[in-house]
This record gives sequence, structure tokens and C-alpha cells, in this order.
Amino acid sequence: MSTKQSTYRHVVDSFKNALGVGEATIETSLFERVVFYLAMGLTLLVTLFPFYYMTVASLLPESTLYTLPPTLIPTEITFEHYRTVFGPETFPFITYFKNSFIVSVVTAGASVVIATFGAYSFARLDYRGRGIFSRGVLMVYMFSGILLVVPMFQVIVWLGFVDSLASLFITYLVQTLPVSLYMLGNYFRSIPEEIEEAAIMDGYSRLEVIFKITLPLSAPAIVAVFFFTFMIAWNEYLFASIFLQSQSVFTLPIGIEALSSSFRQVWGQIMAASLLTSIPLIVMFTYLEKFMVEGLTFGAVEG
Amino acid sequence: MAILTRSGDRTIEEKEALLGYALIAPALVLIAAVILYPVLYNVYLSFTIVPLNPNESPQWIGLEHYSTLLGSSQFWGALWTTVVFTFFSTTLATLGGLGTALLFNRAFRGRRYVRGLVLLPYVAPLISVAFVWRFMLDPLYGIVPYIGSDLLGLYDGNVDLLSNGDTALWSVVFIDAWRYFPFAFLMLIARVQAIPSDMYEAAKIDGASKFAQFKDITLPELKYILATVFLLRWIWNFNKFADIWLLTRRVETLPIYAYKVAFANYQHGQAAAISMVLFLALIVFVLGYVAWALDW
Repeated sequence: MSTKQSTYRHVVDSFKNALGVGEATIETSLFERVVFYLAMGLTLLVTLFPFYYMTVASLLPESTLYTLPPTLIPTEITFEHYRTVFGPETFPFITYFKNSFIVSVVTAGASVVIATFGAYSFARLDYRGRGIFSRGVLMVYMFSGILLVVPMFQVIVWLGFVDSLASLFITYLVQTLPVSLYMLGNYFRSIPEEIEEAAIMDGYSRLEVIFKITLPLSAPAIVAVFFFTFMIAWNEYLFASIFLQSQSVFTLPIGIEALSSSFRQVWGQIMAASLLTSIPLIVMFTYLEKFMVEGLTFGAVEG
Repeated sequence: MAILTRSGDRTIEEKEALLGYALIAPALVLIAAVILYPVLYNVYLSFTIVPLNPNESPQWIGLEHYSTLLGSSQFWGALWTTVVFTFFSTTLATLGGLGTALLFNRAFRGRRYVRGLVLLPYVAPLISVAFVWRFMLDPLYGIVPYIGSDLLGLYDGNVDLLSNGDTALWSVVFIDAWRYFPFAFLMLIARVQAIPSDMYEAAKIDGASKFAQFKDITLPELKYILATVFLLRWIWNFNKFADIWLLTRRVETLPIYAYKVAFANYQHGQAAAISMVLFLALIVFVLGYVAWALDW
């Protein structure tokens, strides 16, 4: 190989490495690459098509929405469905959105705070009964909503919390606590204990260690847990459907379901509402993707 | 290591233990009050007739609800539907996740973004996902019937896939697998990437085919995580309520049967008994599975 050629190869390789495409091109044949990109394209098509179609349908005027063949690439778009969704005439979408948001933020915030202390206790402090407590929490993780729905309904009626967001807050908080405890506990155990021991040697108390060392180091995990508990509360349908009765306290899942069952052929509005409901989760996920993926590997989240 | 240093009247060990109890107490109290107590209360309710008026106390009837269930064909049908739904949706989601994880186990341009996009079905809200599928499967204007029936002629166009008894279950199985395969993908991809590449190099030198490499290296390396993913998905799919309920009223699994009995017929005691059977069936499965598949 001449010097000129090897210099050229070197430059190409370093560019490829810088772009992160180096490895793939070394050993694979053209045929393999074609198959790979076809398979990837198919995977992405199956995964993303419903979201694309949701977006398109929310923008199509009624006249093209209900025709065959279905429109895949809109030639004419309208924001009419969004206007209807935000207008107070058909259904109070903004109220539902606000209710969902309040319940989810409060649930996620409280769950993270309570679980941070609990998980630290499991992960680092030594006391009798710790093993039973932490295994017990894992067991609870396996209980389904349907096992709780009848007794919880009785309890909520007895407490007088029916038809209030408080009923959801209590239920969701406790449903998310085992997940949060488990994820944060696993994360705390992955932080080297020596760092904390060194701080204790320096005269810090345990609580100071938690606030000044463990919590700052755990920021990614805490963000991930907040997101997942928010997601669980944002999605919850079962308990909301039995506890809530009046429109003013409906959350998004109940509200959109009510819209679809009381009107016929309102797909445009439902698709617009569905897209708007997805936005908070997708925005959070896009910003926090790295933490999310990391967080998920620390504890499987029910879904 | 015994720490004898005293501060106040307690040793450091005692103080640590006290702090431990104090930090875990709020979580334990809440879980005990809002999960353990209701679960036990549910056991009690399953032996009673629960009156509509909350001021009257439930009336003890012993095992009557359970014997009613054993003689009810609707119950056995729901149990069978639950097992079929759970088995196929869990298997499909796990296989889908495995396939995607193996496919994406290589360097390519934009891998991070592609991985983020694949997670979208799992991250997006259930209500949005359920309704877009209902629209796509709508018998009049849906795109799936248009492609499947009008263009490809796979089935008769008048069939509403979600409200036809024969097809509703399979539609729900497919949609559930679509929504949850990213979970399996995410759990598996980390493990796939951790398989040492020299194992494959050695196999290639020995002339092992791609399939042999998969069977003899990849699968054994992934055995534990695959078994775990399958178990977790099984537990969650077995209990699944909202995903099915929002798509169709024609698939009656045990959770849906319990919900209808409780909140359409107002037989709370009977519904409590159904949820107990659901729970027991799940426990039996999990214990059997763990003994068989995992070495815990």
C-alpha cells in the first residue's frame, strides 16, 4: 500500500470513527447492510406508523377523514379539531389535562421523596427486619390493581373521598412507591460505599451524607423515577374510572373515553386529544432519554 | 466491626438502625395501609355479600362465591381467555424485543435516536395508543381493514376486527405485543451488548453458522434475562385491564370479568372472589415457573 493510500485510509477511518460509523463498515458485506437497513426500516415503520397516523388524522378536515382510500399524505390540513378540543363547547379538555397534570406531579413528587429515604434505608443502613421489608416491597410490586379495586373502592367510599382527586392521589402514590423504592434502592447500591464512609470519617452525619453526597450522585436515577411515576399516574385508568363521577374531576384517560362513547365519528378530535395527551410524556422522554434508559435497567417498570 | 464510640447514650450502630427505621417508616405505613390492608380486606369480602349501602356491614356466606365460580362457564371461559391472551402477548413481545435487540446490536449512524424511537409505543400514554389503534381498525374508515381486506383481500371486509368474537382476542394480543416489545428490547439490549465478541470470533474460526452461533452463544448467554423478561411480562399481562378494556368489550379476561361483576352488577363480594382466584392462579404459575426456569 502506498503512503498516499494509507494516509487516505487513515483520514477516512478517523472521520468514520468520529461519526460513530466506523465499526459497521469494516466487516459487513453490501448484502448484509441492505438486509439490515430493510429490517430496521420495517421495525421503525411498525413502531412509528400509529403515531404518524394519529398526527395526520388530527390535521385532516372531516371531508377527507372519512373517505376511502385513507389519506396518508395530507394535501389539505386544518386545525379545526384542535380548536374544538380547546374550545369549551364539546368537552372540557383543558380541565382534564389540568387534573391529570396535578395528580401526576403531586404523585410523582411525593413518591420520589418518600422512596428516596426508604430506599436509602434499605440500601445502606443495617437493622433487624430490613431483609423482610425489602422482600415484602417486591412482593407488593406483584399485586395487581384488580386485586385492590374492590376493597379500595369500599375504603374510599368509607373515607368519603369518592369523586375527588384525593382518592387518586392516595391510590397512585402507593402503587408507585414499590417501583420507586426498588429502582432507587438498586441505584443507591451501585454507588461505591467507600465514598460515603470517607465522608463519615470526615465527621459528616448520615443525614448530611444523604443530602450532600448520595442525592447529588443519584440525580439521574431520581429524574428517571420521577418520570416513571409520572407516567404511571398519567396513564392510570382503572381506579380513575371507578372513583371519579363528575366531569370537573375527570383525568385525561376518563375524559377522552367519555368523549368517544358519547359522540359518533369524532375521530379527528379524539386523535387531536390523543396527540396532546402524548406530548408531556414524549417531551420529557426526549429530554431525559439517557436517564430513562439507565433508570429502566435499574428496575423494571410495570406496563 | 464493632463500633464502641458512644455519642449520647446510644452506640453508632443503634443510631444507624433507628435512622433506618425512621427513613423507611413512611413508605411502610403507606404500603401497609393502602395495599396490605385492602388485600386482606379483599380476602374477607370474598366470603361475604357486600351491601350497596356502605353503612351496612357485609354478610358472611363462607365459600359460596367460590363454589358459584367453579360451576360458572363464564368464569372458566374468562380464565381460558386470560391464559391465551397472556401466553401469546407475552411470547410475541419477548420475541419482538429479542429480534430488535439482536438487530440493533451493531454500530450504525443514528443508533441512539433509533433506539429512542423504538421505545415510543411503551412511553406514549395508553389512552392515545388505544384510540389510534381503534381508529386504524375502524371497519368503515380504518386503514388496517382497507389494506388487509380491500387491497390484499386477507379477510372479508365486513368483519370488525375489534368487535368480532374470533378476531378481537388476536387483535388485542397483537396490539399489546406492539406496545410492550420495547420493554423486552430495553431489558435485552444491554445484555446482548455485554456478550464478549471474542466468543463469536472463536465460533467463526471453527466455522459455526450464524444460526449455530445464535443457538450456542447468544441464547445461553441471554437465558436468565429472557426468562426474567418473560416472567415480568407474564405477571403484568395476566393482570391487564385497561389496555384490553379501552380497545374492545369483546375480550373477557378475568380482570375484566371481575370489573364487570363489581361495577356493572354491583356484586362486590363475588368480584373479590374472582380477583382472589386471579391472584392465586398467578402465584401458582409464578412459583411453578420459577422452580422450572430460574434458579432463585
